[in-house]
Amino acid sequence: MSVLRAASVRHLLRHPAQLLLALLGLSLGVGTIVAVDIATASARRAFELSLQAVNGAATHQVSDGPGGIDERLYTGLVTAPVDGGLEATRYAPVVAGYVSVGEHVLQLLGVDPFASAGLDAGAAHGAPALALADVDELRQWFTRPGAVVMSEALSRELGVSTDQPFELEVGGVRHTALLIARIPDADAGPGFDALLLTDIAQAQEWLGLQGRLTRIDVKAPADMPPEEFVRALRSRLPADLAVSSTRAQARETFAMTDAFTINLKAMSLLALLVGTFLIYGAVSFAVVQRRSIIGILRALGATRAEVLAVVLGEAALLGIAGALCGMALGLLIGRGLVHLVSRTINDLYFVVAVNAVSVPAATLLKALAAALATALVGALLPALEVVASPPRLALARSVLELRARYSARVLLLASVLLALAAALAIATSTRSLLAGFAALFLLLLSVAAATPAALQALAAGAARIASAFSTTTRLACADIAASLSRTGVAIAALGMALTAMIGVAIMVESFRESLLEWLVQTVRADIYVSAPGIADSLERRLDPDVIAALLAVPGIAAHSEARRVTVGSPAGALELNAVRLVPASYAGFHLISGDPARAWPQFRRGAILISEPLAWRLSLRTGEQLTLQTDSGPRAFAIAGVYREYGNERGEVLMDLGQYRRGWHDDAIAALGIYLAAGTSSAQALSALRTAAQGRQALLIRSNADIRALSLRIFDRTFVITRVLYWLAAGVAAVGLLSALLAWELERSRELALLRSLGLTPAGTAALILVQTVFMGLAALLAAIPAGLLTAVVLTDVINRRAFGWEIGLHLRPAQFSQALVLALATALAAALYPAWRSGRASLAAGLREE
Amino acid sequence: MAQHRWWVVALVCAAHAAPPGTVAGGPGAARGDFAEALEPRRFEFPRDHGPHPAFRQEWWYLTGNLDAAGGERFGFELTFFRVALLPRSDRPATDASAWRAREIYMAHFAITDAARRRFVFQQRLSRSALGLAGAQSEPFHVWLDDWSLEAAPSAPIGAWELHAAQPGYAIDLTLEPQGAPVLNGQAGLSRKSARAGDATYYYSIPRLSVRGRLLREGRTLELNGLAWLDREWGSGGLGASQVGWDWFGLQLDDGSSFMFYALRQRDGRRDALSAGTWVASDGTVRALADADVSIAVTDYWRNGSGERYPAAWRIRVPAVALEIAVHPVLAGQELRTTPPYWEGAVDVSGNRAGRALGGRGYVELVGYAAERRPAGAGGADTQLHSR
Repeated sequence: MSVLRAASVRHLLRHPAQLLLALLGLSLGVGTIVAVDIATASARRAFELSLQAVNGAATHQVSDGPGGIDERLYTGLVTAPVDGGLEATRYAPVVAGYVSVGEHVLQLLGVDPFASAGLDAGAAHGAPALALADVDELRQWFTRPGAVVMSEALSRELGVSTDQPFELEVGGVRHTALLIARIPDADAGPGFDALLLTDIAQAQEWLGLQGRLTRIDVKAPADMPPEEFVRALRSRLPADLAVSSTRAQARETFAMTDAFTINLKAMSLLALLVGTFLIYGAVSFAVVQRRSIIGILRALGATRAEVLAVVLGEAALLGIAGALCGMALGLLIGRGLVHLVSRTINDLYFVVAVNAVSVPAATLLKALAAALATALVGALLPALEVVASPPRLALARSVLELRARYSARVLLLASVLLALAAALAIATSTRSLLAGFAALFLLLLSVAAATPAALQALAAGAARIASAFSTTTRLACADIAASLSRTGVAIAALGMALTAMIGVAIMVESFRESLLEWLVQTVRADIYVSAPGIADSLERRLDPDVIAALLAVPGIAAHSEARRVTVGSPAGALELNAVRLVPASYAGFHLISGDPARAWPQFRRGAILISEPLAWRLSLRTGEQLTLQTDSGPRAFAIAGVYREYGNERGEVLMDLGQYRRGWHDDAIAALGIYLAAGTSSAQALSALRTAAQGRQALLIRSNADIRALSLRIFDRTFVITRVLYWLAAGVAAVGLLSALLAWELERSRELALLRSLGLTPAGTAALILVQTVFMGLAALLAAIPAGLLTAVVLTDVINRRAFGWEIGLHLRPAQFSQALVLALATALAAALYPAWRSGRASLAAGLREE
Repeated sequence: MAQHRWWVVALVCAAHAAPPGTVAGGPGAARGDFAEALEPRRFEFPRDHGPHPAFRQEWWYLTGNLDAAGGERFGFELTFFRVALLPRSDRPATDASAWRAREIYMAHFAITDAARRRFVFQQRLSRSALGLAGAQSEPFHVWLDDWSLEAAPSAPIGAWELHAAQPGYAIDLTLEPQGAPVLNGQAGLSRKSARAGDATYYYSIPRLSVRGRLLREGRTLELNGLAWLDREWGSGGLGASQVGWDWFGLQLDDGSSFMFYALRQRDGRRDALSAGTWVASDGTVRALADADVSIAVTDYWRNGSGERYPAAWRIRVPAVALEIAVHPVLAGQELRTTPPYWEGAVDVSGNRAGRALGGRGYVELVGYAAERRPAGAGGADTQLHSR
C-alpha cells in the first residue's frame, strides 16, 4: 500500500503541469458556482437589509392601490379609542418614493419620527429613531426646510456633509434638501445605503402626495396570534384595504428575481459540469499513464481495493484542493459579479444598493461538496476501469485504445438515450423551469457523449481522404482516431462548452432581434416625454401646466398619454399601464391572441389587454377575467387579448386611461407619446419641447430612436452576466483541452521521435501536431454546431418561455458561431504550441530512449 | 405649581443649544419671537383652560387619588405638554402637507395600583397636525392620539371628561371642580429665575371631584376620588444654577389644599424663588414664600440604577399652623422617561392647629436621576414596575 501511495505521489510530482491544469479547471468550475452564489446572496442580503431599514419593526402593513391611502385613515386609527386586544398595536404612517441625487437613485422614506419610534420600541434598531439621537436634531427635523437624514456611508458617497444643502430631483423637479444628521455606520448598516429619511410632511410635498400615505406600518401586539390580529385589524379598516405581513411582502418582492437567479445558477452549473469532464480527463489520463506501473503493482499483489483507494484518494485530494482554490477564485469573481447582478436587478426589478459582499457558509460547504463530488465522479470510471482489468492486460496500451473505441460506441448509444430523456423532460412538463434546465443539461451531456464517436468517424474519414495528400496528414488523422482514450473526454468537454456557447449566443441574438422588431413596432410615436423615476412610482407625473406647454409646441399632430402604476390583485401586485391611445398607436400592439377588430373596441369599453409574460405567469387567456383592486374594491376585468411585450418580464396590464381614472381616482399622467405632423423635423420638435419644459420640470424628452437604443442598451447590460458566465464555462473547457493535448503530446514523444528518425523534419513534426489539434478543435466545433442550434431552441422555446413567457423567433447569424470558432481554434492552437515547439527541438536519442 | 415641568422645555426646545442657522435663528431670537410671561395678566375662564399658542410651552397636568367600590386604591397622572418649535406665523404654503407642524405634544399617563403594588406608565409624542394632537379652548379639549381631556358635553357646566389607556389599564373619568381656579405666584405670574422671561402664568384647581371607571385587564372598576389640575404656560426656562425641584400638591381632609415647589440649586441649597399656595377650606388663598415652608426628608428610595430619591418628608408651615408627614403610597413611582422623574401618589398625616389631620396628594421629584439615553424620539415606552 505504501508503495502504491509513493508511486502515486511520485507520479503527480513528476507531472506538475497536468496537475495544475486539472486543478485550474476544477477551481474555475467551483469558483463560478461560488461566485454566482455570492452575487445572488449579496443582492438578497442587501435587499433584506434595506427592507429592514425601511420597515423597521413592523409586522404588517396596510396598503391600497396606486393612489395610496387617505392620511385621515391613519389619524382615525390612532385617535379613536380601541379595545378588543388592539390597544397595544402601533401604527406608523409612511410616504415612500424615489428621488435622485446626481447619478444616484435613492429611496425616499417619509416618516413620523414619533410614530416610527413607537413602532420600534423594544427593537434594537429602528430606522427613524436612530436618526434623531438628540433633541436638537428633532427640532431641526421638524423645522428646517428640506431636512433629511442619511447614513454616514451614503453621505460620503454623495459627498454631502451635515448642514450642507444639496439638490435632489423628484420626477424631474428639483428641490433643495439639507442634511441635518447622519446615522453612524455602526447603527445604519448596508440597509441604509440607498435610503433618504425625511419627515412625512416633506416627503408628501416633494413627491406631490399631499393627503396620501404610501402605507401604514403596523406592529402587532406580541401576545396576539397573527390571524386573529389581522382579523381584528381588518374590522377597523375599510374593506378594500390590503393588510399583508411584512415578511410575505418581502418574499413576494424578492421572488420577482427567481427566474433571473435560476438562470444564473444553471449557467454556473454548466461551468461545473465542464469541470467534471476535466477531472475525468485528468484522472483517467493519470491512470492511463500509470497503467504499466499499476499493472506491475497488481501483479506483485496489490489488491483491487487498494488501487481503487489510491486513485480515488488522489481524486479526493484534488477535489479538496480544487474546492479551496475555487472558493478563493469564487470570492474574486463574485466581487465582480455582485456588481453585474445588482445592476441587472436595478435595471429590471427594484432599487437595491449592494455594497457588501456576503458569503453564506452554505455556499462554501456547497463548493466543497461540489468539488469533491466532481473529482470523485470524474475519477470513478477510470479507476474502476483500471481495477477491472487483469494485471497483464493493464500493461498493454493497445487494449485500452481498443476499449476506448468500443466505449465510443457505447457512449453513442448513451447519447441517444440522453437526448431522448431530454425530449421526454420537455414533453412531460409544461411550466417547470427546472425540468427545462434538466432537459438542457441532458442535451449537453448527450452532445458530450456523442463527441468521441463523431471524432472517431471524422478522423477515420479524414485519414482516408488525407492519404491522397501526404503521409504526415494521414498519420495525423489516423493518430487522432487511435488515441481517443486520452483526447476523447477533453474534446467532449470542449464540444459541450462550445454547444452552450453557440446556444446562448443564438438565444441572446434571437432575443435581441425579436426585441428590436418589437421596439420598431411598439415605439411608434416620434417623441416620448416622461417624468424621470422608477417605472411605476407614483411621483412620476407630469405637471399639468407643463403638459399644456408641451402640447402647445407647433407641429404636434396627436399625442397619447400613459400612467404606469402598481395595483393589487389576488395574484399579487401587478403593473398597470393605463393609456389613452391615438389611432396611430394601435398598430404598436401586436396581439398574439384575440382579434384586433374586436379586442380594441372592447378595450375602449373597459376590457383590459394583458402582456404575454403576464398571460403565461398567471395562465390567463383571452376571454377570461382578471380581478384588480380598484379604489372602490375588487373588480373583475374581461381580458380582450394578449399582446407581445418584451419590456417587462413580470408582465403588465393595459387599460384605457379613462377606465383607470374611474377605478382609481388618479388623474396624473406620467408619459406622453407625441406624433409629429408630416414635415415637422424631429430634432426641431425635440428642442422646442425641451425649451417648453425648461425651468419647470426636468423631463426625459427622447426621440423614438433614442428610446430604442436605450432599450437595447439595457437589454445588452442584462446579458453581460450571461456572457461572463459562458466565457467562464468555455474557459474551463479550454483549460481541459489544453491539459489533455499537452499530456498526450508529451506522452507520445517517443512516437514522434521515431517518426523523426524515419525522416520527418522538426517543422513537419510541429505541423503534424498543429494539424491534429486544430482538427480536434474543429471536430468539437462541428459537433457543437447542430447541438448548439438544438440548445438554442431549448433555451428560447423552453427555458425563456418557462421563465418569462416570451415567445422568441430564432434568428441565425454567422457571428453567433464565430465566437465558438475562435474559441475552438484558439484553444487548439494554444494546446499545440508548446508540444510542437518541444518536439521540434527534442533530441532524437532521448526521445527514443524513453520507456 | 409647576415649574416642575420645566424639563420638558429643556427636552424638546433645547433652549440653550439651538443650532446656528435655524429657521427661527438662535435661541435668543427664537425666544424673542414668542410672547413672554413678564407681567401679571387677567385670567378668563373657561377661555384660559385652552391653549396659549403665542407662548413656547404649556401644560395640562392632572393627578389624583381614587378609590374603587371594592376598596382598592389607585393613583393616576395624565399630563399633556404643548411645545412650540417655531413661533406662529402666517405663511403656510398653498401646497404644504397637512403634516407640517410647529408644535409637538407630549403626554404621560401613569397608574399607581396600590393593591397590586404596581406602577405603570406610558409616554406618547405627536405633532400637532391632522388632529393627531392638539388643544382648543371652546369647547375645551386637549388630546394626543386617543388620550383626551375635554369639556364634558353632557355633564354639568365646568365638568371635564378624561380618557386614557395603556396595556392593562384604561380610565374614563368625569372631573368636577369644587372651586374656582387658584392663581399661584403674583396673581398668576410665577417667577422661576432671576431673568425676567423665566416665568410662567400658573393656576391650579386643587380639588376636582372624580367619578368614573377603570378598566383593569378586562375588568371594570367604579372609582371615586379627588384630582388636582395644574396649568402653566410661558416661554422661558430654568435658571442656569437650578437642577431640579420637589413639588407637593396635597389635599387635606379639612378641605384645605397645600401646594409648594422647592427649586433645588446645583450646590444643593433651596432656591429663594421656591414658593407655594395655601387654599383654606373656605377658599381663601394665601401665597407661601420660600421662608414660610420647612421641609425635612425623612427617608430615601433608590431606583434600579441606584439613584437616590427622597421618599418621605416632614413639612412645617407655621404661618398656617400646619405640621405633616408625607409618605408615598408606593416607593417606586418613577417614570423612566427621558429624563426620568418621580411622580407619585402620597398619603398625608399630621395636625393643624393641634387637630389631627389626614390627606392625600401627589409629589413630583425632578432632577435626581440621570438620563438613560440621549433624548431621542422617545416614542411610547411602556414600562412596568412591579414591586
